[in-house]
Amino acid sequence: MNQALPTNPTEPRVLVETSRAVPLVTLSVTFTQGSVLDPEGLLGLTRLTGRLMRRTGAGLSADQIDTRIDTLGASLGVDVTHSAISFQGTCISRSIEGYVEVVKDVVAKASLSENEFNKLKSESQAELLSMLDSDQSVARHWFRREMFADHPYGRPTGGTLASLPKLEHGAAVEHAKRAIRRGNLLFAFAGDINPEQAQRFAADIAAVVPSGVSPEVEVGEPRFVTGRQLVVVDKPDRTQTQILIGTRGSHPKDLDHTPLHVANTVFGGTFTSRLMHEVRSKRGWSYGASSHLAYDRRRQPLSILTFPKAEDAAPCIELQIQLLEQWCEAGITQTELDWAKNYLIRSHAFSVDTASKRVSQKLDEVLYDLPKGYHEEYLANVQAVTLEQANRAVAERISPKDLLIVVVCTEKLVGAQLQAIVPNLEHYKVIPFDGEVQTETKA
Amino acid sequence: MPQSPELDADVTRESLLAEVNLNAPEGGKITFLERLPFGKALIVDRYQLANGLMLLLIEDHEAPVVAYHTWFNVGSRHEQVGKTGLSHLFEHLMFNESENLPAGEFDRKMEEAGAEVNASTWLDWTQYSSSLPKGQLLTAIPLEAERMAHLVLKPPQLNSEKEVVANERRFRVEDDVDGAVNELLWATAFTEHAYRWPTIGWMADIEAFTTEDCLGFYRTYYAPNNATVVVAGDIEPAVVLRAICQSYGPMPRAVVPLEDVRPEPPQTSERRISVEKPTQTEKLVLGYKSPAFGDFDYPALSLLGEVLAGGRASRLYRRLVRELELASEVRISVGPFRDPGLFELYVSAREGHTAEELLAVVEEELSRVREQPVAQEEMDRALARNELSLLASLETADGKASTLGFYETVLGQPTSAFERLAMERKVSSSDLRRVARRYLVDTQRTVVLVRVKDVDDDDLEPNDSSDSDAEAA
Repeated sequence: MNQALPTNPTEPRVLVETSRAVPLVTLSVTFTQGSVLDPEGLLGLTRLTGRLMRRTGAGLSADQIDTRIDTLGASLGVDVTHSAISFQGTCISRSIEGYVEVVKDVVAKASLSENEFNKLKSESQAELLSMLDSDQSVARHWFRREMFADHPYGRPTGGTLASLPKLEHGAAVEHAKRAIRRGNLLFAFAGDINPEQAQRFAADIAAVVPSGVSPEVEVGEPRFVTGRQLVVVDKPDRTQTQILIGTRGSHPKDLDHTPLHVANTVFGGTFTSRLMHEVRSKRGWSYGASSHLAYDRRRQPLSILTFPKAEDAAPCIELQIQLLEQWCEAGITQTELDWAKNYLIRSHAFSVDTASKRVSQKLDEVLYDLPKGYHEEYLANVQAVTLEQANRAVAERISPKDLLIVVVCTEKLVGAQLQAIVPNLEHYKVIPFDGEVQTETKA
Repeated sequence: MPQSPELDADVTRESLLAEVNLNAPEGGKITFLERLPFGKALIVDRYQLANGLMLLLIEDHEAPVVAYHTWFNVGSRHEQVGKTGLSHLFEHLMFNESENLPAGEFDRKMEEAGAEVNASTWLDWTQYSSSLPKGQLLTAIPLEAERMAHLVLKPPQLNSEKEVVANERRFRVEDDVDGAVNELLWATAFTEHAYRWPTIGWMADIEAFTTEDCLGFYRTYYAPNNATVVVAGDIEPAVVLRAICQSYGPMPRAVVPLEDVRPEPPQTSERRISVEKPTQTEKLVLGYKSPAFGDFDYPALSLLGEVLAGGRASRLYRRLVRELELASEVRISVGPFRDPGLFELYVSAREGHTAEELLAVVEEELSRVREQPVAQEEMDRALARNELSLLASLETADGKASTLGFYETVLGQPTSAFERLAMERKVSSSDLRRVARRYLVDTQRTVVLVRVKDVDDDDLEPNDSSDSDAEAA
């Protein structure tokens, strides 16, 4: 890792990973506050503002900017998460000078034209409408909203069909002034570039970004669901269901995070995990079956995804709850632990086999407030996990009594079976897939 | 006089092969075929075993990982009516029991080795990929050889896997508007050629497969003389050659039947279908008959597709999404297939707009490329996008193996990805106009107009098949 962090705190933070494997440079210009900056009632404003910058750099039209980027043999996207606004892309290394000019125009010289704002808003609404065609996207959307409830992580970064029409051009202009600040800048370069070049380009871009820092938004730890809650997202004509089951998870800062990560590998982290074996291999119920522990600046849930046909949805949920309970009560075995550690340690090679992956890990450490050296010490930390630690992490962290179960399906076909199959169900809610109207019953 | 490095390499390779072949099983004797440049820095060595197995090796020490791919020259084009989806079902079955490995052990051993394992099937081929940490390659080679020659097919595993595939089909087709419409497009555009059925197969065929069907297919197509192994990454060629020779050498050749291809008759009039789907907005899907991947015209048509719909600065994106605000998405793909396929154009309308409105604009733009030359700047933009895309695909060992295996299997020329790029650079504006006039014509197209289905809860029929609600417009 070639890493250049500033000795002077007024200089931009720059992460660099050099590799001459292919003549490409990837670049990420990140502002370390994301959609948590959305003002109350204006969901989606941060993302819309970031996209508007991408389209109006240097007062050019969106077509002109796209043509410039394409002709350089480059790509440039803007990714807005809850925690960051990131302009990122790749260019053929011969074009790096021109590419940096485009990036500079986008992050610091965007005109934020009103005409383009209106076009973008309309386009964003159309994209949200299209998203409704994807059952898995609908499931993920409602899973987050219900899991995090009023916490900022429950607010969709892209806004909603109800919030987007409320966004106005003036608000985006003001929002850019808040969000795009030099003090929040973080650069990452990877590939066919050396640290000196990277430092020069970063300084060049940073020099034209307004000084100061974005307002700090206090994001507390989320409170996850309590009891068992079933949310059916009703969509007509479904032959299949999309099921997401979640409960509280952890953050890499938690001392039991790595033991939980190893135990989850056994539970649902691989193709031969317990979940995959029971749901797919033995019963053929779902094409995919996996569990996942994500990370952000605050704790994220453990989530489990399956997608069985409508007739199998109820027994599939019942089986998953049983597997979760067994996992928490009996833990994993020494053989499973050894196997999981081997898998994680050996497959780690694919997390660091390109320069862009290596620099992304470093970026994540800064962006998500990971423990110092989280990725560098990952292998040693996994190797050190004992059976006792893994099982205690599962028993203490995972609570099968507190589950959110989100199912995208045709409610009238399977809703009653789903309600009947979940023991100790406390709440049952039906949400139309294309609206915010909800009917709620005490189960 | 000092020898040239090339000659040194030849001598070394010759003595290595002599040593490997000395104790090789009959089918495992290896012949060096050729050495090919791959991009500016890499070299591909092409070998063949006596039993017909093709072998491509590419050394790349950038990261301590290896990609191990096996490409079989069998895809859905080799299937018969009533047995569609068998190639894809095999993609699943190959992870099951074999003579020397109980069910589940293949995956278990591979994952314990740290491998990332996957597979895919398309019209012309089936591919199995494993990415391994450098030190684990010798774990993978005998396991891959074992499943190529000694797969065990029993009813319980077959039935379970059929259910998994049926669920995959529900995910990709039955409950997915784009998947269902794509299937309908190809089934309408082709009347004779095997490209008319979907790679995943029709649901009725998937449910009806027997172990006898599967065994027959396995014995016919899963043989060394119908496969290419690609090994890319941090390898020592001598170690790989010895292991391949010993693991694959005992396999006999199979008699692979002559392909029973039925060429698609020329399409002489437009085919138009209107279909209702549970979607939010109308869609327009067009399929123009397009040349085979190896055809001289393919690079020009591919470049034209990029000019029309590659990225947000493309002509159709600018008109339909930005200027007229009629659509939310536009994309084009040109089928990279052994036989002529389709130039596919997909447009998703915005709320309140119709597929006919989209079609009118698309027709204007296609008429423009048939009549007026495309500016050099637009071609340069499209070329640069394609170059970026190729370079990005080669960042990992897995990407290199995929590219080599694909080109070897479809064209018989493993390293021609860069040659294709060079061919595209030679394409002129006049070539673009010529291929537009030749291929993008109404009489050779199939049009699918997707309407928004007005769903009445009382009429829900969850098991409707994807094309049952299609009707001729």
